[in-house]
Amino acid sequence: MAISKEAYKVLESIVGSEYISNDPTICEGYRSGPGGYESGLGYERVMTRIPGCVIMPRTTEETQKIVKVCNRYKIPYVPYSTGFYGPRSHPHVSDALIIDLKRMDDFEIDEKHLYAIVGSGVIYSELQAEAMRRGLYIVIGGGGAQVSAIANMIGDGWSPLSYRVGLPHRRILGTELILPDGELVRLGSLAFQDDYHWGEGPGPDLRGLLRGFTGHRGFLGIVTKMAIKLLPFQPERLEPTGISPNTALKLPERRVKWINFTMPSKDSMRRAMVEMANAEIGAGATKVPIFWRAIARAKSKEEFWELWSKENEEKIANFHVLRVLLVGFTSEEQLEYEENVLMEIIGELGGEARRTRPTDESWFKNADSAGMWLMCGGYVSVDYVIETVEHAIPHGENYAKLKRNYTPPLMPDYGDPGWFQSFELGHQGYSEFLVYWDPDENTDGVDQFYLETSKENIRKRFYTSLLGSHQPLYLTGPAYGPNYHKWLLKIKDEFDPQFICHPPVPLNHDVFVERAEWLKPQKDWESPELPKAL
Amino acid sequence: MPKSKVSLDVTQVENFVFDMSRCIKCKGCTWVDHIYMPGVKYSTRCPSATKYLFDSYGAYGKMRIGVAMVEGRLGYSDELLKILYACTLCGACDVGCKRNLDLEIELTLEALRIKAVKDGKGPMPKHKKIAQKIMQKHNFFGSHHENRKKWLTDDIKPSPKADLLYFVGCSASYTHPEIARATAKILNTSGTPFMLLPDEWCCGNMLYSVGMIDEARELAQRNIDAVRQTGANILLTSCAEGYRMWKVDYPKMLNISTADLGFKVVHLTEYVDELIKKGALKLSNRIDLRLTYHDPCSLSRLSEPWVPWKGERGLWGVVNPPLERRRGTNGVYQPPRDILNSIPGVELVEMIRMRENAFCCGAGRGTKEAFPDFASWAAGQRLVEAKEVGAEAIVSACPWCKDNFTDAVKNNGKSLKVLDFSELVLSAIEGTGKRR
Repeated sequence: MAISKEAYKVLESIVGSEYISNDPTICEGYRSGPGGYESGLGYERVMTRIPGCVIMPRTTEETQKIVKVCNRYKIPYVPYSTGFYGPRSHPHVSDALIIDLKRMDDFEIDEKHLYAIVGSGVIYSELQAEAMRRGLYIVIGGGGAQVSAIANMIGDGWSPLSYRVGLPHRRILGTELILPDGELVRLGSLAFQDDYHWGEGPGPDLRGLLRGFTGHRGFLGIVTKMAIKLLPFQPERLEPTGISPNTALKLPERRVKWINFTMPSKDSMRRAMVEMANAEIGAGATKVPIFWRAIARAKSKEEFWELWSKENEEKIANFHVLRVLLVGFTSEEQLEYEENVLMEIIGELGGEARRTRPTDESWFKNADSAGMWLMCGGYVSVDYVIETVEHAIPHGENYAKLKRNYTPPLMPDYGDPGWFQSFELGHQGYSEFLVYWDPDENTDGVDQFYLETSKENIRKRFYTSLLGSHQPLYLTGPAYGPNYHKWLLKIKDEFDPQFICHPPVPLNHDVFVERAEWLKPQKDWESPELPKAL
Repeated sequence: MPKSKVSLDVTQVENFVFDMSRCIKCKGCTWVDHIYMPGVKYSTRCPSATKYLFDSYGAYGKMRIGVAMVEGRLGYSDELLKILYACTLCGACDVGCKRNLDLEIELTLEALRIKAVKDGKGPMPKHKKIAQKIMQKHNFFGSHHENRKKWLTDDIKPSPKADLLYFVGCSASYTHPEIARATAKILNTSGTPFMLLPDEWCCGNMLYSVGMIDEARELAQRNIDAVRQTGANILLTSCAEGYRMWKVDYPKMLNISTADLGFKVVHLTEYVDELIKKGALKLSNRIDLRLTYHDPCSLSRLSEPWVPWKGERGLWGVVNPPLERRRGTNGVYQPPRDILNSIPGVELVEMIRMRENAFCCGAGRGTKEAFPDFASWAAGQRLVEAKEVGAEAIVSACPWCKDNFTDAVKNNGKSLKVLDFSELVLSAIEGTGKRR
């Protein structure tokens, strides 16, 4: 049902006429696809709608009022910060209201107590620039420097730098959350005093509810403000150099250094990560997928394909490049010491240091996720696992085998087994499996592969972190729960009885499978009964 | 996948459906290159997206709207025309996108305006009035054509025939004669003979920029023929917009390469750089001034030469033959800085957003005429930035920038001098050279 004139007027009175529009052209500009993360796939075509209206609040108070109006007039709404997270961050029902949070760009930094308070419109590179100016830093998640820091903190939020500083839930401090019905909740130390400095608060820690492992993509309300923990960095400036597209940070080599190593085997890479952690050295450690190297070397899409077409299965199977970041956080001597230890570890494992540029193109300030689309035009990370490195490696290898059945339409990658890295000083390992396709081809196979990975995880007992709204809840819930799906829906019902905050999430993937004829042959689980509100 | 024929012809918007449909909403078009990201202030480089805020005003919105226009899903409306035209076509989005994705954003935006005109909906009413003036009086302002050379004073000596032709342009001819005079005096002082076109007409920047391709093309052909008839080997401009027209958009409209024009197009900043290196010009007068340099979009990120391209697009979007993309990397960034820095007493301080990340002054490509408040706002943003780095003066190399900054200083009450590059160079050399 279209947003009524009366409701529109009430919404307009909250933000002013300049910051609300139901003009069809304005709404078309908020379409999810045809390009973008996961776009061009069946999910985008079947599940997304352009909004019926867009509103841009400036403050928490305005946002709270908007949400209450939505509840009063039963207007489905979707919180939207930058819109980068593809179809899942766009409306799934007609005539929804997009609450575009980009005007909420308040920023404060407390360098003494090592945190920054950001609004939903603040992006990572802005936050990182402010932090680095004060000798501090954060992890820019793999989503990229251009994403909303809050959205990424409650969604994903990791990178190779998470090896040293851990996963993002540790860095969420005092937080302001507007529940789906408009009630304002303050988390952490904010719950009992006007102070953002601490993440834990009285009672159960709601941060788990807020993000779980990988977040719920806006179906449990809107985070309007968050204090994010910052970490001490080193004092030298990382100097920006070059003219676009060849820009990079020049590293102060006695303080910050990336070193690439050629390793004799995948297992030696894994062991290097473990030994580094045992010695408590390093600031980042990741495997380099070979196609990333080709992207970095190519000056254009055409050059990439020229380079890539020269690769073969044997070369990919024997390509083991480990990229390690060293930072002398406390002193030049720290870096020197860590480098000596690292070289000893690598030497013992038969690895060899490669010539590595003294620059950083991605991870410190940029996190160049946009480059992932250059090769094919279509991209999604179908799965990530946060468990151990021992778990991560077979996960990728297994997916590589499965992928063969769906190539094409997936990009030929000569059996590349994905990307893995070490987190939390070796206490956790990470695997991410990225796939690419040409959106102008028939992409049914990509949808089928995505769904099949969920089933494969269950069959092979891989501990996916991409549960919730990313996979059919009634497929994964019983397997990982056994009642995970029921709990999630109960929580949703408790906080959002009208189901108006980003419907039908978290049942979105279940609904998609029901609607997509080409997925029917794979459907062998119980269908959910949709809540009455839907 | 069957290969599709494709070219960079902006008169056929279908050539850019691929580019429109591959936008991923990374908003690299709007943000300053993240490597250069300064913090929460001055973090954007797209005036349109920064001012109007709705996604629909950023290139990411426009690409989606463009697809809907081509597919016939979206009709024209006042809002649609505002989205198409309240945009400076400054190229910030194009450079940003080509850092990662290599989509032809600038050409797409031009093609959408051409489509709007073809469909009888564009340009904006103010543009149509100016177009009429250009057609009737051969200048942007509707002034008497015979007044075009009024800027010439007795102490300036053009030659009847020379290797170098100075194309003055409408703004320096009619409203900013100080720039034309300074340019001519710099040439005189360096001993460079120069000629003027016997009958100079408007370059047609606004016609092309608002999508009036037929009128702009006719003017381009007329102007090129006129220059070819003079036998000049170098065409010099002191206007960045004119520079882009001659170097990029004329060849683009006529489907030839910049190299095929038959003469070289040079901006005053490049030419002065050469003169200094040859020892023909010495910047020896002291100017005690802390100034900042504003990169005019058409001299910097939009100025790389044009080469026509057509071919096929196949699987993965790969094109054949290979396409040398114009990414703004080789724009004229350094020469004006080197020159200003070498003037005794001048302290050049950079603004936070510079070179390919610069924030457009807001004047260009039909913006100021149709959306004066937006243009004034954009200039105001830049003036605040200039003040923040402690500049006493903002210097650009385009009369349209100077004009817009000057108006904004008046409107905003900022105490900042607004100067053109030519004026500073002249001050640094006056009385030092050999005059001819």
